[in-house]
Amino acid sequence: MGEGLPELDPVVHGKVRLAVLSLLLTVEEAEFTWLREKTGSTDGNLGAQMLKLEEAGYVAMEKRFAGRKPQTVYRMTAKGREALAGYVAALKRLLGGAL
Amino acid sequence: MTDMDRNDGTTRDELVQRIALMEAMIAEGRQSTGRAGWIFVMWGVLYFAATGWVCYLPLRNWAWPVCMTTGMVVLASWQSRQRRAGAVRGPKSQTISAVWWTTGLAVSLFAVFGGITRHGEHTFALYLAAIVFFIGLAHAISAAILQWTMQGMVAAVWWGGGIAILFAPSPVAMLKIFLTATFFGQIVFGLYAMSLQRQRAVAERVMRHG
Repeated sequence: MGEGLPELDPVVHGKVRLAVLSLLLTVEEAEFTWLREKTGSTDGNLGAQMLKLEEAGYVAMEKRFAGRKPQTVYRMTAKGREALAGYVAALKRLLGGAL
Repeated sequence: MTDMDRNDGTTRDELVQRIALMEAMIAEGRQSTGRAGWIFVMWGVLYFAATGWVCYLPLRNWAWPVCMTTGMVVLASWQSRQRRAGAVRGPKSQTISAVWWTTGLAVSLFAVFGGITRHGEHTFALYLAAIVFFIGLAHAISAAILQWTMQGMVAAVWWGGGIAILFAPSPVAMLKIFLTATFFGQIVFGLYAMSLQRQRAVAERVMRHG
């Protein structure tokens, strides 16, 4: 890490995880299949990334039924919002210095 | 390596890509309206078609009921396909959808029964202005939910049109105002929403394929 450069949260920095957090920032909640479609991930990859986000406390998962169809729904937590905001601030500082 | 390159291997280009990715994904949050860009265009075209039918074709009493019913059938069919495809979204989308369906129903009932009872002809300015304010209200609620300034401006266009109709000197002038509001508030706005959707699609492809 360069001297004086801010740290980028590695949990947020992952491409798929960043995409997921950005999606969840504005949609309140989203189903797993919708996130998979939007991020272009596979079931396995997205599942692993969502688990990391859950473990970090950045997203909350809920399993429920829509009629007889099971759904896995995710929403961003306050901690996740803070993490994303911190990531954006760090990005701005990093890129701002080079612009 | 540049000054911006980090010793964890992250380059400036990658950081810029992250920003582009975030922008694309955040824009998805507005998908409930953005994705529905073609719907605004469709309704705009149907408003023009109905108005043209009333002015130039026979059986003019059928114009609005037929055009409104056509729009609702197309929309219901599309939403049904969306649901089958598993495009489940959050409460925001459901709320916005409910706002537009109830507004559409209210406008249709008002327009049809105002026409049948001929109250619409007797007080045409109020009749048309009420419809215009209904549409503006739906845009305003949607804009407030999505915090979308552009749609808020569209609501202002409709409401401004409603006020202008009340001051218009003749039914022809009122219709011209209505069609102008339709052009900018439905067709142009719908095309704008569709262009946003295309940009997102490109961003998604970039994200998937690097």
